[in-house]
Order: sequence, then structure tokens, then C-alpha cells
Amino acid sequence: MKETGTEAAARTPLLELIDVVKRFDTGAGTVHALNGVSFRIRRGETLGLVGESGCGKSTVARLAVGIYPPTSGSVRFDGVDIHDTTTHQHLDRAAKKARHARMQMVFQDPFSSLNPRARIGRILEEPLIVHRRGNKRDRQERVAWLLERVGLKPEAAARYPHEFSGGQRQRVGIARALALRPDIMVCDEAVSALDVSIRAQILNLLLDLRREYQVAYLFISHDLSIVRHMSDRVAVMYLGRIVELALRDDLWRQPCHPYTQALMSAIPSVRPGRKNGKWMRLEGDLPSPFAPPPGCRFQTRCPFAEARCRSEEPLLKRVEGEHWAACHHCA
Amino acid sequence: MYLALLKELLRNRAAAAGLALLLATLLAATLGRFWFPGDPWEMSGAPMLWPGDDAANPLGTDLMGRDMATGLVSGAGVSLMIGLVSTLIAAGAGITIGALGGFYRGWTDAFLMRVTELFQTVPQFVLAVVLVAIFKPSVATATFAIGIVSWPPTARLVRSEFLALRERGFVEAARALGMGDFRLIVTQILPNALPPVIVIAALNIATAIQTEAALSFLGLGDPNVMSWGTIIGNGREQVVDAWYICGLPGIAIVLVVLAFNLLGEGLNDALNPHLREKET
Amino acid sequence: MAALLSIRGLRTWFHTRAGIARAVDDVNLHLQPGETLALAGESGSGKSVTAYSILRLIQPPGRIEAGEIMFNGTNLLTLDDRGIRNVRGNRVAMIFQEPLSAFNPVQKVGAQIVEAIRLHRRVSRRAAYARAVELLAQVGIPSPGARAHEFPHRLSGGMRQRAMIALALACEPDILIADEPTTALDVTTQAQILDLLKSLQARNGMGLLLITHDLGVVAETADRVAVMYAGRVVEEGPVDTLFSRPSHPYTAGLLAAVAIDDVPPGERLPEISGMAPSLLAMPQGCAFAARCPKASAAAGCFTESPVFSSLTLQRHVACFAANPAASPVTVFPRSAMRDDNVRVAA
Repeated sequence: MKETGTEAAARTPLLELIDVVKRFDTGAGTVHALNGVSFRIRRGETLGLVGESGCGKSTVARLAVGIYPPTSGSVRFDGVDIHDTTTHQHLDRAAKKARHARMQMVFQDPFSSLNPRARIGRILEEPLIVHRRGNKRDRQERVAWLLERVGLKPEAAARYPHEFSGGQRQRVGIARALALRPDIMVCDEAVSALDVSIRAQILNLLLDLRREYQVAYLFISHDLSIVRHMSDRVAVMYLGRIVELALRDDLWRQPCHPYTQALMSAIPSVRPGRKNGKWMRLEGDLPSPFAPPPGCRFQTRCPFAEARCRSEEPLLKRVEGEHWAACHHCA
Repeated sequence: MYLALLKELLRNRAAAAGLALLLATLLAATLGRFWFPGDPWEMSGAPMLWPGDDAANPLGTDLMGRDMATGLVSGAGVSLMIGLVSTLIAAGAGITIGALGGFYRGWTDAFLMRVTELFQTVPQFVLAVVLVAIFKPSVATATFAIGIVSWPPTARLVRSEFLALRERGFVEAARALGMGDFRLIVTQILPNALPPVIVIAALNIATAIQTEAALSFLGLGDPNVMSWGTIIGNGREQVVDAWYICGLPGIAIVLVVLAFNLLGEGLNDALNPHLREKET
Repeated sequence: MAALLSIRGLRTWFHTRAGIARAVDDVNLHLQPGETLALAGESGSGKSVTAYSILRLIQPPGRIEAGEIMFNGTNLLTLDDRGIRNVRGNRVAMIFQEPLSAFNPVQKVGAQIVEAIRLHRRVSRRAAYARAVELLAQVGIPSPGARAHEFPHRLSGGMRQRAMIALALACEPDILIADEPTTALDVTTQAQILDLLKSLQARNGMGLLLITHDLGVVAETADRVAVMYAGRVVEEGPVDTLFSRPSHPYTAGLLAAVAIDDVPPGERLPEISGMAPSLLAMPQGCAFAARCPKASAAAGCFTESPVFSSLTLQRHVACFAANPAASPVTVFPRSAMRDDNVRVAA
């Protein structure tokens, strides 16, 4: 099938996960990391993915950029299943490479993702060399431009990663992701390791880049208020499933899933009066991903759980408009 | 916990083989004495009987007509005993020196490590020969000498474990609970440092048995004790005519050393937290 | 009311090969019985070093250079080894950020609590064990008898932190120092642990010194807060007034950066430009001056160090712009400090 016309292309989601299941086999059994996750990201859109540790959000990030394949389901980038090897096998390498250039990842720990023995200039030039962009001089101009764009001095090119602070290293990480002008950047806890005063600087940089280059983000974080600030739409994950997916404002106006509500009320605010009376505390801990509970995965901690929740797993259903929730109690 | 460790060991085929060999040696050393109760030094038949020539001496006799089987059984006990006790000495010295150096660092560490290096610069075996020669050759001096020459690796290992472990959160937490140094070392750090020490100790026993055999071969063994090294030493002149005199104790040494090496490897796998983490 | 703990002029410096890092430089703090004082700041601000200095847990190359820490009428800094050990875990206990690494991995949870009790109390092993199970129940661990028999890595993150709290409470301390107690936990678990700390404090009236980088946690848990920056307390006061009307530009900037919800989604957030100075090369004058929107040469921000002084009865601040009284009568010679090495905003 050949895609013609920009309209059709614009309608195709940039990134689409369809019923993605991911299991990891370990010595102690099988971890059910993702259990039927579906979502779409449109061009230039930011989808926020929020959840606590072990909910599978980092697995989503790695599947999305093709670091490993799903156990079942598909990951489509620009309409093409990135793990489908049955078609265009001979083209695979070139296509894969081209795709890699268009999807980039920003990691939580910029230090471990930067080669300690390479100078910053070299680190930023690397993706350009790999993808054969321009000659030496073009590349160096590009590196200088990248450094300036992320707010680093040109002299930084001659220095090594360890000479920089955490915030500056994250700037380098973002510059590297930006080098090939990607269509989408997957940010996995990109600001979690940073101090608050630095965090705002990095978030602003990401916001500026979005405005200037219409880059789409899959913005993954455990911090609900950051996700709210950055995203157009938000997906809430719990134990390998999306439990609620909605436009940002809809979600905050009317969180439907009890887990979303609990998450919102658990965040300590510097303005204690801000909370509108809804106060919810969850009991207990996250169940083991080796043996998720039957029925609704949240039933062991949900204050509203009934007999039905313990036997029948709720599917993601439309609440209204673009608001989806996986809960028997949401209409 | 120890039961779990044993189970883990038995699941490892190499370690299980090592344990079986070891058990066989142990049985030979204990029950074997009832089978072959005679004095290993006493003549019991014609000299240089080949194994199988005479039912009374199933493994043959040596140049002096001494029963080979009785000698081997006696040697098993001697070898195991010397191996174990000398390793205990080495482990004791090594743990103490390594723990103090790693825990206190600074001057204490610098001094203790210089001493360790001093011991390491002299070849182990030469030092053992010198030590045994200075004192009278006996089981006790051989054991002591072997122990004294083999503690440095343990000390270095324990020191590096301590250096790493003393920075760990639980040591700090224990300090915050009001624990003194001695208690910190003995109850908090040492149990965490032991697994690799146990592994090195198993390998150390193997080395100690070899060293003892070598000393006896050179005639520096206890003249009143029949060890494997003594038998080999006595049989070396006849190695061409009657290779079994050297060969049988040689095979015994190889098997026991192999057993301890297999056991050490198995312990290493079983005690390695990374490998074990996958199981839980 | 006499303070339960009062720290005066505390200096803890690290003598590194690259020079002296003034991790804690002239810190003053007071903690009342039953009160929760939060020590807030970003990484490298000296908040944890201050906490560790109280129990003299600073390891070389760190050294407590000056100051006094009065607790129950004794100066903890002049106690002998035995004396300070008797305070640690007994009168002043501590909990840590990573509960897993704070437990001895090869010892069962119950046995560790028993050991903590018997360090300071002459009780039988049996009685100590009963007490350990009781403590585990008190901190909300289900089936505490069975959990006591577990190794620490078998417990979940939240349960481990509860067990850590049980361990700290073993000797009913007068003060609990909590070093980032919820940083490693998920938000829903964090809420549980903060609730637990508050209820335990309400019951036994201990003073709580809460070390945290999270101003949200401060707002929900603490009575008073001291904000640290580059080794010094820059502002201190009751949480409600300080958070609603911060005086120090750093506190104000920090609060603005945290209160993301105040900014319409998608718009640029208020940021504090640049980054904290290196502790090895502190600038002359106020350490925050290079990043401060209110800094002026006329006020002396770049030349003199503002003195920590009272703004109102309950609030203190170290800033020339916020408090004219911050001007020092005598200036300490700070010859070792030059501003040419400072890593300024990129």
C-alpha cells in the first residue's frame, strides 16, 4: 500500500500501540509487564503517561522506540508495524535506520546514557555520522547550533560529560535526541533526577522545542503535576494496563477511575488548601507483577471494589468524547 | 538457610560431584581404617606387589612391602586434616587482618597491607619449606606453615569486601543505632563478607593438600605419619618399574583437589547474590 | 519552652583533594518537643550533612569543625565515644531514604529490631522479640509475627520503610531524624508513610526532623521549615506563613518552580536561572546572588555575606533584600573564597 496525499498521512497516527502485550520470562516466573495497551499519538501531540513504579510505563517507552518487540500486538510508526519482519525484509535495515532517526529517546539518567570517554561535540555528532547527514563542516555547524539551542555554551563541545552538572547533562541528552530533527521524542522520567530549580529549566526547554519544531512527545513520568503541565492527553497506567485515558482538562475536571483519584489526592501540594475536599488514601501495596489479581487489577486496593470487580476484568470503555476508563463504576 | 544452600549445591551438577568425591574421601579416611586397620609402616607382604596380585594387599605393596591400601587410607585422613586446619588458620588470620584494614582504613590499613605484601613477595612454597625446616617436621608444623603462607589472599579479599561494605547504608544505619566498632565488624559487615571467603577457603583446602604432599615428597613431612606425599616420595625411584606406587596416591590427590575445586565453584555460584536473585 | 535540640554555629567541612567543601557552614536550628521541623533544600545544600552531624555520623574526609549541638543539656559534639553511642538509636534515632539498603541483607527483620533493642536495654531476647513484633504491628505491618521472620528483601518498599520506622522507634527516642524517608517510594505509598509518621508523633510526642527536597511533603507534614542553600540556612519559619509569603528570593523561586499547578498547562514555568555554586569555590557575598533576581551591588549582595537574622518573632532570613538587619556588624574574613572559579549559568 502506498500512502499518497498529505491529508491521508496527517490522519495516520504518528505512533500507535495496538493491544500490546509484553511478558518477560525470568527464573522465578513470568512478569506480565504490559497486558493489552493501546493508544495513539498524533503529529505534534504530547501524550503523558503517568503511573507508579512497576506499572509498565518504561516498558511502553522501550517498545515504542523498538528497543524490544512486543509479545503480541503491534507498534506502528507512521502506519508501519515496526516489528513486522514479514514484509520488506530486504528493506528492513534501511527502513529501520530511517525510522530510528525520526524517533528519539531522552533518558532519566543522562549520565549513564552518555559515553564518558567522548567529548560532548563527538556525542552530538555521532547520530549525524551514523545517518550520513552532511559533511564534516555541516555537522560541526549543526553541533554548534544544537548546543546553543539547548542553552549550552559553544565551548561545551570540547568537554567531557563528567564536567557537567545533572541539568546540563540532560541538556546534552536532549540536544543529542534533537540532532536528527525527530518527529517524536520519548521522554522517560526525563526530569525525575533533577533538582526542582533545574527541572523547570528543562521542562521549559522541552516546551520551547515543541512550539518551534512541532515535535510530538511521549512524556512519561510518575509526577502527575508535571504530566499535566506537559501533555495534551494523559494516560494513567496501573500494573500493565491503561486504566484511564483522557484529554488533560477532562481528566482533571472529572477523574473517573478510583486509582486516578487516589493518585491525584496523594500528591503533596505546597498549597495545602488547594485540594477540593476529595481525600483518598490507598491501603496496601502494588500486587506482584508475577501474579496479578483476577478481575480488575486494582481491586485489591480499591475502596469501591465489589464482587464483579473481583471476577471480571473491566475493559477500557468510552466515558464521553475522548475520555476512556477501565472501571465497572465508570459509565 | 544452610539447608537451602545445600539444596542449591546439589542442584549444581559439578558441585554435587565434588561433594560426592569429598564424602567418599571422608568415608575412606574414617571407615577405611576399619577395613585396613594395620599400621601403614608395617611390612605386610612381599615388596612391590602389583595391585590385584594378592588378595591380602588389594592395591599392592611398596618397595618395603608396606600395604598400599592402608597407606592411602591413612593419607586421606592426614591430607584432609592438614587441609582443613591450615585453612582455618589462614582464614582466621586473613579475616582478622583484612577486616581491621578494610574497616579502619588509613594507617592501620597501610601497615597491615605492607605486612601482607611482605608475605606475598616470598613464594608460598619456599616459605613453607623454610618454616618447616626451621621447626621440626611434624604434622603440627606442616599445618601451621601451610596456614601461615596462605592467608594473604584471604586478607586482601576480606579487606576489599570490607572497604565496599563499610560504605553501605545498613552499616551507617547500624552506626546510627549506636553500635560500636567491634559489633559493627562482627555482626553487620562480616556476615555479608563471608560468601567469597567461603569459596576461597574451599579452594585453599585444595592448595593446602597439594602443598602438604609436596612437603612430604621432599621429605619434610612428619616422619611418623604416612601421608600421600610420603608414599609418592618413597616411590619416586621405582616410578618406571612400579608406577602405581606414585600413581595411586597421585590420583587420590588429584581427585580430592578436584573435589574441593568443584565445591568451591559450586559455592561461588550458590552464594553469588546476583545469580541467586534470579531464583527468588 | 526549652528546645529539645538546638544547633548553634554548626560547621561541617569536607577536606577533599580539590579543596575544602563547606557542606555545612554556620547552621543554627532549634527543635521543640513534639514538633516537626523540616530541613528543605536541593541536592548539595547540606541538609543531610546537617542531619548526620547531629549524631556525629560524618566520616572522613568530612569533619565537624565548629558549633554546638545541645540535647537534654549536653553538647553532643563533646561527648565521648561511649556517650554518643548511647544517644544514637536510643534517644535520637534515624530513618533513611533507601530502606532496603538500610537493613542488613543477611539478617531477618525481627532479629535486627531485637538487636537494636538489646543494644540499649537490658532485656531478654524473648522479651525483645515480643517487643519487635509489637512494634511491627504498631507501624501497620500486617501479620507482624510472620514478617519478623522475613529477610528485608522479601518485603515491599512501603513495608520496608515501615519496618525501618519500627526499628527506629525500638527505644522510644525523643527525636526521630527522617532523611528523605519517602523519596524512594511511590506517591500513594508516600502518603501512607507520612500519615504513619504523623500519627506516631501524635502518640508519643517525639520531635521529628524531616530532611527532604520535596516542598509538597514539607507543606503536608511539618510545623516549621528551614530552607538550606549551599551549606547555609537561608530562611526559617512556620510552614504556613513561610510558604504563603516567602521572604528569601531562593525560597520564593523554589516554591514557584514547584507550584506547577499555578501555571496554565503548556506555558513556560518560572525558573531559577543558573545553578548552585560549587561548595569548593563559594562566591564572595551571598551564595545565591548570581542567580538572584533581587541581587544588587549596592546592597552588598556580591561582596558581603548576609547574616541570618530575625524578620519577625518566628521568622528568620539571610538576605539583604528581604531584611535590612541582615547586614553584618562584623564580616568574617573569607579569604579562601573567590568568585572566578564559579560555574555560572550556561
